[in-house]
Amino acid sequence: MRHFISTALLIFGLGISNSSYAKIDLVTVPDRDKTQLTIYNSADLTLVREQRTLTLKKGLNRLEFGWENTLIDPTSVQLRAPRHAAQVRLLEVSYPKGVKGSAIWTIESDIAGPVPVEITFFTSGISWHAFYMGTLSKDEQHLQLQGYVTIRNYSGEDYQNASTRVIVGKIHLLDEIAALARRDAPYNRPDGTIGRLPMTLASGAMKRKAYREMDKAEERLSMNDAVAAKSIIKEGLSEYFLYTIEGTENIPNHWGKRLPSFNIKNIPIRNLYRFEVERYGNATHRLIYFRNDKKHQLGKEPLPGGKMKIFREIDSEGHLAYTGQVHTKYIPVNQEIELDFGQAREVKVEPVLMSEKTENYQFNSKGNIAGFDRIQEWEIKLENNRDIPVDIEVWRHFHNAYWDIDNSVDNKGKFKKIDIDSVKYTIELPPYSKTTLAYVLTKYEGERQNRR
Amino acid sequence: MTYQKTLLILIISLLSTNLIFINAAHARIKLVTLPDRDNTTVRLDNPQATLVEEERILNLHKGVNKVDFSWKGVHVDSDSIRLKIIGHPDKTRLINVSYPPNSQSLVWDIYSPRAQQEKIRVSYLLANIDRLVTYEAITDKDETKLDISSYMILRNFSGESLGPAMFQLDYGQGFMKSINDGESKRMLFYQANQVSISKSFTFDAGKHPWEPNKQDTNVGIPVHYELENNKTNHLGKHALWGGKMRIYQDDGRGGSIFIGEDKPAYTPINQKMKLYVGDSRDIVVTQRKTHHEKKNIKRNRKNRIILHDEIETMQITIENFKDKAATINIIEPMSGEWEIIKTSHPYTRKHHQQMEFTIKLPAKSKETLTYRYVVKNVKTI
Repeated sequence: MRHFISTALLIFGLGISNSSYAKIDLVTVPDRDKTQLTIYNSADLTLVREQRTLTLKKGLNRLEFGWENTLIDPTSVQLRAPRHAAQVRLLEVSYPKGVKGSAIWTIESDIAGPVPVEITFFTSGISWHAFYMGTLSKDEQHLQLQGYVTIRNYSGEDYQNASTRVIVGKIHLLDEIAALARRDAPYNRPDGTIGRLPMTLASGAMKRKAYREMDKAEERLSMNDAVAAKSIIKEGLSEYFLYTIEGTENIPNHWGKRLPSFNIKNIPIRNLYRFEVERYGNATHRLIYFRNDKKHQLGKEPLPGGKMKIFREIDSEGHLAYTGQVHTKYIPVNQEIELDFGQAREVKVEPVLMSEKTENYQFNSKGNIAGFDRIQEWEIKLENNRDIPVDIEVWRHFHNAYWDIDNSVDNKGKFKKIDIDSVKYTIELPPYSKTTLAYVLTKYEGERQNRR
Repeated sequence: MTYQKTLLILIISLLSTNLIFINAAHARIKLVTLPDRDNTTVRLDNPQATLVEEERILNLHKGVNKVDFSWKGVHVDSDSIRLKIIGHPDKTRLINVSYPPNSQSLVWDIYSPRAQQEKIRVSYLLANIDRLVTYEAITDKDETKLDISSYMILRNFSGESLGPAMFQLDYGQGFMKSINDGESKRMLFYQANQVSISKSFTFDAGKHPWEPNKQDTNVGIPVHYELENNKTNHLGKHALWGGKMRIYQDDGRGGSIFIGEDKPAYTPINQKMKLYVGDSRDIVVTQRKTHHEKKNIKRNRKNRIILHDEIETMQITIENFKDKAATINIIEPMSGEWEIIKTSHPYTRKHHQQMEFTIKLPAKSKETLTYRYVVKNVKTI
């Protein structure tokens, strides 16, 4: 156990000596009985709930609570006696001048003897994230998806036998917990000046260095799961999703842990290549789609955003080739997942402007040009150089709300208008084949936009 | 009691009444008493400044007494210092105030008709001492009720330690507290349980991206709780001060999770408090403009368009991936002389540049909302 929350009972002195907190008759409080960590991933925040047994006397009790060298937000500390809620009250918390990392609690109790209490507070320095490993089948029609939860502790505190929960969700925070932990006055000063304590070892460069080392260790770890995987209980609360890891964990300071969350084989996937100049430039992007639903053997829980490494099986012996790494977004249950693998080399889309002419000029009273039609003949050339059939989407944006399109007969069933200046073509292309989408686009400029 | 370190009152007795006109520096000869402070009241009702009133008993001599009041190292606003004679206001009189050079002090000349004890009240504005209010709240699993605990935080960085003093708020009874210089204290202020809340989601077409699936990160739809400061909610006794509120939710397993924090505005009685809790990524809103045309074109003699109307159609798709029903507000910024032609759902005109839809969406469902509107008299100059 490092510096953590030291709690010591102080016998309440004479009523009037309010100003000097003399430490008379120091009574040590037993260690925490139980600890629960609830770790967030959208902010550097962990809710710690610990159970301890305090020996209280009737009347006022004084207790010192210390958090020196930890990353705890002192304003978040709360004490409750769940079994004696009406009889035990935390009346006052005082943060005296010049006493670093400690507060004095005044607890009023109607009962004497051991009282189980719950102490909750926020700490920074513990984080978790989701990590995925995907393995594509040889024909790229199925995906094996393994999900992991990785926890890292740089809080300055060792957590032993802690029951651990991780939370997915985007929380609204006014202040960073790490900044609150460093204030010299927990609530700042009335004049707005912010005093800061010197950085602790768990902060700053040390922390970043440790994170980097963890990343490396994680890469090495990534192919192997724990021998006996723990189960993870999953449930939704408000806008959050809670993963409760079975049993308890020891997470010493500066340590990390990876726990397997799920392993699903044979998820049917949809391969798609998309061309959209405004989004991707002149490259065709390769995408994989599947839905987070029962049909895809998923749909039990939202999938938190995280890093995903994708491999592809290249032979019947299960040898692998590395396809790439993507960052996934958070995917609610029933939503489709899009994985963008970036530029594709083997599927090409090239829009070619075959001709451009103008017509239907209009002139204003001064004889200047007031409007005309711009007529463009386009041929979008598509090539599939792969050994499997592929679906291709071609998006075109006209940057003009006034247009007409004349699609060639071959485009029938492939064309869809999306909004006032966007259209989409969807084409399925057999292995090693080519095709062309042809259309004539008329854009109306100036006065011609007001034609009847 | 050692709290009185820096704020001092000294009474200087004079050798004889003939010396009234003697220079004040010469007159500071003899320290008569160092009166203790009594009945101190600290008024925290004005968020801009804290008023301290304290009473003291002076042992006055017959004639003019020089009473020295100094506040070295204490954040006293020197223009705000007032002296009130309480014991014999008709006989004992304040006749003069002088300010010694280069010192945080002043000297009161107090005339007393005889040697006596006189009660005075000194009041002054003290800076760097104030109060904050914070809230801790816990909601049930269904997010319909909130149990709120409010805390008062006293912060004293004024340079002066205050012994037992009466702290007075803008309502209700005051309370006795001591607080040292440099100290902060958190106290339970009040509690209100079973406060009804309504939860809603808000998409603002003027702020949020219209095509969330084209974004690299999830678009969060803000989640709000709303509650009313009224008697039904066990509140409504006084205005709720603005302050950081941390909201937790009962996890149904004897514990809780933290679901977000916000700093609500000052909320008078019977008014609504709105709390921004977090962002939902289980509500997805996609907006598209599907139609645009110009109508009623008017031209000038040179055949130039000077006036026209614009007709547009918007299509908004709202998906609820949650396993609970959701109330979603759709805010649409409007401009010019707009009028709605047709909508698929009822709307409210909020003001001349905004309209709003409120849609209740069942669990795991999707709905498409459309509206067609005209902006009249668009001028081209």
